[in-house]
Amino acid sequence: MIERAQNEGNVMTELSRRTMLSGVAAAALAPAIMSGLADAATPRAGKQAPGFYRYKVGDIEVTVVTDGANTFKFNDDHVSNKNRGEINAPLITAYYQPDLLTTPYNPIVVNTGGKLIVFDTGTSETAYESTKGNTGQFQLNLKAAGIDRSAVDTVVISHFHGDHINGLLTPDNKRAFPNAEILVPATEWKYFMDDGEMSRAPKGRMETVFKNLRRVFDVLERKVTQYESGKEIAPGVTSVATPGHTPGHQSHIIASGNSKVFVQGDVTHVPWLFARNPDWHAFYDQDGKLAEETRRKVYDMLVAEKMPVQGFHYPFPALAYVERAGNGYREVPVPWNPVL
Amino acid sequence: MTEFSRRTVLMGTAAATAAATVPAVHVQAAAPAAGKQAPGFYRYKLGDSEVTVVTDGATTFPLPDTFVTNAKKDEVNGALAAAYMEKDKMTIPYSPIVVNTGSKLVVMDTGTGEANFERSKGAAGQFHGNLKAAGIDRNAVDLVIISHFHGDHINGLLTPDNKPSFANAEILVPSTEWKYFMDDGEMNKQTTPRMKEVFANARRVFDALGRKVTPYEPGKEVAPGITAVATYGHTPGHNSYVVASGNSKVYVQADVTNHPALFARNPGWHAFFDQDPAMAEETRRKVYDMLVAEKMMVQGFHYPFPSIAHIEKAGNGYREVPMPWNPVI
Repeated sequence: MIERAQNEGNVMTELSRRTMLSGVAAAALAPAIMSGLADAATPRAGKQAPGFYRYKVGDIEVTVVTDGANTFKFNDDHVSNKNRGEINAPLITAYYQPDLLTTPYNPIVVNTGGKLIVFDTGTSETAYESTKGNTGQFQLNLKAAGIDRSAVDTVVISHFHGDHINGLLTPDNKRAFPNAEILVPATEWKYFMDDGEMSRAPKGRMETVFKNLRRVFDVLERKVTQYESGKEIAPGVTSVATPGHTPGHQSHIIASGNSKVFVQGDVTHVPWLFARNPDWHAFYDQDGKLAEETRRKVYDMLVAEKMPVQGFHYPFPALAYVERAGNGYREVPVPWNPVL
Repeated sequence: MTEFSRRTVLMGTAAATAAATVPAVHVQAAAPAAGKQAPGFYRYKLGDSEVTVVTDGATTFPLPDTFVTNAKKDEVNGALAAAYMEKDKMTIPYSPIVVNTGSKLVVMDTGTGEANFERSKGAAGQFHGNLKAAGIDRNAVDLVIISHFHGDHINGLLTPDNKPSFANAEILVPSTEWKYFMDDGEMNKQTTPRMKEVFANARRVFDALGRKVTPYEPGKEVAPGITAVATYGHTPGHNSYVVASGNSKVYVQADVTNHPALFARNPGWHAFFDQDPAMAEETRRKVYDMLVAEKMMVQGFHYPFPSIAHIEKAGNGYREVPMPWNPVI
């Protein structure tokens, strides 16, 4: 649940508001309604609409397919250079509850006409069970979108954190995309597959990151194709090195005709904290300073070029323009287009 | 910046010149493009009530010179550009909602009508299609509540063959609106083609329904948890609603503003379709000041789908902070 502080600070009573807004004595009249109707038997639906959304980039069709969202109480050191009070302030400004962080996950599927490409894979179907359906929705929503996982030609991975790679596997540790080639950033592969780097990694979280990605890629028998930055890795898809969040983190520019979108991966995490405050260092940014430098470069470019950004951790459908605001940036969501 | 220079800036490495290791072996994908949008509905809970926002689509048209009667076209284009919308074009979305209170299934406004789906080549008139996609049976609807009598709110009351769209529903209309638009004297006073058309269309729709409607008064609970609020100006009898259950509330504004990028940002702007623009502005400011003060969510008929937001003060007006899509209900 995304709990919002929607009713904080009720200063006016229902009655006073009504009186002010109606400004008439009509409030005293008797209602003429609801006399002879039986109770509706219609049950509440009780479930959300399928979470997918389409848009075109020139001739390319993009389908945003949400994996859901995770809400949790954040730790005091969630942002290494800010305290809890400082983190709660923008949460409240964005109408979120203090002390709770909601993290959406939004992989995308790109149909170039020649290739069907999945970008990042979400937290996995296994997480669907363990989170009671809050996350791990990607495969379900993919199905709702009419996309056959067996028809996927390519999976492009931005970096090796679990919420991006765990969806490569089914709950019984099979390939989630049986016919797809898996593309991984060469720098990321080199770093995380290096046993020396793993042995030097701090215990705790970093050790877990190393172990998890080896779990995933070992099931795939390490059969992946490494890609370099600055290359067209699929028709209309160019990789861009955006290091800091992880050593080999990549973003992607999808371009066709006159249209472009910047698929940022984790250049920022949720925008209401980290686009608004690009100098904040989240604990999961492996190199906080480099991540900040990358973030500022990318966001300055997005503003200058008026290029829309597809943000993995933006709220679904996770597509926005970016403008300058205060000491950072604010996303301007692209309005939902009811037709494609 | 060129593609190349941007890449260089972003990478800051010589890696751009390194060789790629990407595949050349795959055959072409047979997967065809889907070519159509996801169904346009979205749900949220409000205490014990379940709200389903069901979009009717959107209409895009060339921006008229006098779209805003007291602002220059350049200023309007400025507001469009600030919202990353195309200049010289206006897009107006329509988002009726369905409220299941547990005892009643209530439709609030009805969109542009199924007949308009054909006419607009599917751009608008989607309400009944999306209602079906949401699993809602139109025959199960108990009440339809109308905010005011403009075509994009009432035309969906009729099927393309002029039958009631909601066969088993009672139709609730604002009493002031009914009195005004059904008064032949008022109709005969109209001088502009547009206002004549508004009267004629309202009568076309309600005559097809045998004028069988139930007028409601503002300030009253018109359905369980749904209270009408007079928000006059856009039309003489325009109503909004507070939908409440438990500790939760949403303000269903109807047309207190049209598109927020223009009219929440600039509450002083008078759209040509505001019948009494000075009163509409006064209503707009009162409602939006209240939404800010109470941190109350607003459901905006002409907001981009799913059309639900909080409101904050910004510049000379207000800015909507869209509710983030909740992937579960």
